[in-house]
Amino acid sequence: MKIIKNRVAKLSFVALLTTLSAAMLHAPTASAHGEKSQAAFMRMRTIHWFDLNWSKDEVAVNETMTISGKFHVFAGWPETVDKPEVSFLNIGIPGPVFIRAGSWIGGQLVPRSVSLELGETYEFKVLLKARRPGDWHIHTMMNVEGGGPIIGPGKWVTITGSMGDFVNNITTLTGETINLETYGLDNIYFWHAFWYALGLAWLAFWIRRPLFVPRHIAITSGKADSLISGTDKKIGIGFAVGTIAIVATSMGMTAEKYPVTTPLQAGLMRGIQSLEMPETTVSVKVEDATYRVPGRAMQMTLTITNDGDAPVRLGEFMTASVRFLDSDVAEDETGYPDDLLAEEGLTVSDNSPLAPGETRTVEVTASDAAWEVYRLADLIYDPDSRFAGLLFFYNEEGDRQMVQVDAPLIPSFI
Amino acid sequence: MSASQSAVRSRAEAVQVSRTFDWMILFTLFFAVLGGYHIHYMLTGGDWDFWSDWKDRRLWVTVAPIVSITFPAAVQSCLWWRYRLPFGAVVSVLALLLGEWINRYLNFWGWTYFPVNFCFPSNLIPGAIILDVVLMLSGSMTLTAIVGGLAYGLIFYPGNWPIIAPLHVPVEYNGMMMTLADLQGYHYVRTGTPEYIRMVEKGTLRTFGKDVAPVSAFFSGFVCIIIYFLWHFFGKWFSKTDFIEGDI
Ligand SMILES: [Cu+2]
Repeated sequence: MKIIKNRVAKLSFVALLTTLSAAMLHAPTASAHGEKSQAAFMRMRTIHWFDLNWSKDEVAVNETMTISGKFHVFAGWPETVDKPEVSFLNIGIPGPVFIRAGSWIGGQLVPRSVSLELGETYEFKVLLKARRPGDWHIHTMMNVEGGGPIIGPGKWVTITGSMGDFVNNITTLTGETINLETYGLDNIYFWHAFWYALGLAWLAFWIRRPLFVPRHIAITSGKADSLISGTDKKIGIGFAVGTIAIVATSMGMTAEKYPVTTPLQAGLMRGIQSLEMPETTVSVKVEDATYRVPGRAMQMTLTITNDGDAPVRLGEFMTASVRFLDSDVAEDETGYPDDLLAEEGLTVSDNSPLAPGETRTVEVTASDAAWEVYRLADLIYDPDSRFAGLLFFYNEEGDRQMVQVDAPLIPSFI
Repeated sequence: MSASQSAVRSRAEAVQVSRTFDWMILFTLFFAVLGGYHIHYMLTGGDWDFWSDWKDRRLWVTVAPIVSITFPAAVQSCLWWRYRLPFGAVVSVLALLLGEWINRYLNFWGWTYFPVNFCFPSNLIPGAIILDVVLMLSGSMTLTAIVGGLAYGLIFYPGNWPIIAPLHVPVEYNGMMMTLADLQGYHYVRTGTPEYIRMVEKGTLRTFGKDVAPVSAFFSGFVCIIIYFLWHFFGKWFSKTDFIEGDI
């Protein structure tokens, strides 16, 4: 007897453990720092985020901030990733530390998925309202169906205050103003508690009598029919009829209380306005490109032709959110994240102004620890060893032109 | 302890031991079902059950009953054929809901701070009660599958409507109309759940106009009948005594 008891006790313990582990199994993703683990070619050849601006470094709970800028959908989108025909402008934050109060592409609110065109540039803005205090790394992010999340640069923002003060007031079309943070909670708890109690009552009705051993004996000795009495049946009918009656009544009550309800809204949004970019008058041909593993530098030979009417200089090479600047030509004034900014990371063998009509072949080196830190160097292990990025040329007035490059990359290990 | 010796010495002691057994078995059953059912339900019903902006008139109504009638059918078969106990469905659903609530409250709200009014579980109890009562009254697996299974699918939406209706009140937001549930999904950022993976309001039931919920519920009920049969047999197989030596 004792042995059996111990066994059952052991079994119960195992069951309890299973339960706990099952309950722990699913927690919604809380981390937003996947950027480094994403394949380098994904970050280089899909969406290029630029001209970004995080409006604040510190916000109090209930205050808002924006992240705005542009993104270029790369024309040389990799074969292995689905085209951004169904994409969702997301935001990379660790859970709802902010609420997304609004997000726009080309001035259009985009609460749903959109269709993006390759080769186009779009303007975007995300409005965030601070909810949970802490230091959070906030990334721009685009989810592409069949391609996964494409994470842009991240910047640290501090939220101060107390989450208890957070309110999310919304006025419905029926004229009511509610706090979405706690709206309907009592109703949810009430109905769940109510039905749980009813379920427990049914269970209690049965388990107050001797259960397994005597009933099993009764069945094996042919007295199964005696186990469900007339009263049991009557009470059972009561439970069933009661259940149906309660469901029907509560439906009626709900219809009276909420006469206006609509179905969930879904569906792809098309025709998103892209940004009219100034015409490019500079053309670039990549003669060759190598990545020097020991030097953490990428070297490319570019033949640049200026077909415009003003002299230009190369100011920036940007790839996978890392910006390599030639400080003589361009400077960052937006407070771009330090770890992604190589202020003097770009060296051009001859960066004197390129006159209109002139063609010049130059050696361009982009070097920074970011190649390693952001695991861009892993590119050489990708199935399609190419690199891609954006080049920004500036004229004397500071006007900028954007040219994209996309070419094979040869690694050099010595 | 030799086999020839009786473990108990008196009838009173036998009764007491039997009762102790009852509680231990019930406890084990409850938590074992909780664990298995919970994992099964999360893997199959997952997001439809997690988020209010997935609880639509078409797919949630169809999927949730179909994937949740499984364990109730299996546990019913074991408890009914061996012990004539008609609480298999209710005990399974109570276990599942306890697990779901622990998960939603501790993980979704406590750990990640999604408001509970956005990530509460679906209510499955009305259907479970009906399923148990039908089995008790009919004593027939076929009838329970057909009548009970259909009822299980049909009662799901009305049983949940009082809980979700407030979240289906429309709101105008920056020039677009959406429900409060849609707005929750938009406001409370889920980095890993982009909008396009949300499977709602999809399907070919367009000819029914706005009355798609009853149609979906009927469809769900029919599939529930099949799934009930299937899982009832799983339960029967699982509660065989062939695994244990000796006579039982
Ligand atoms: Cu980060």
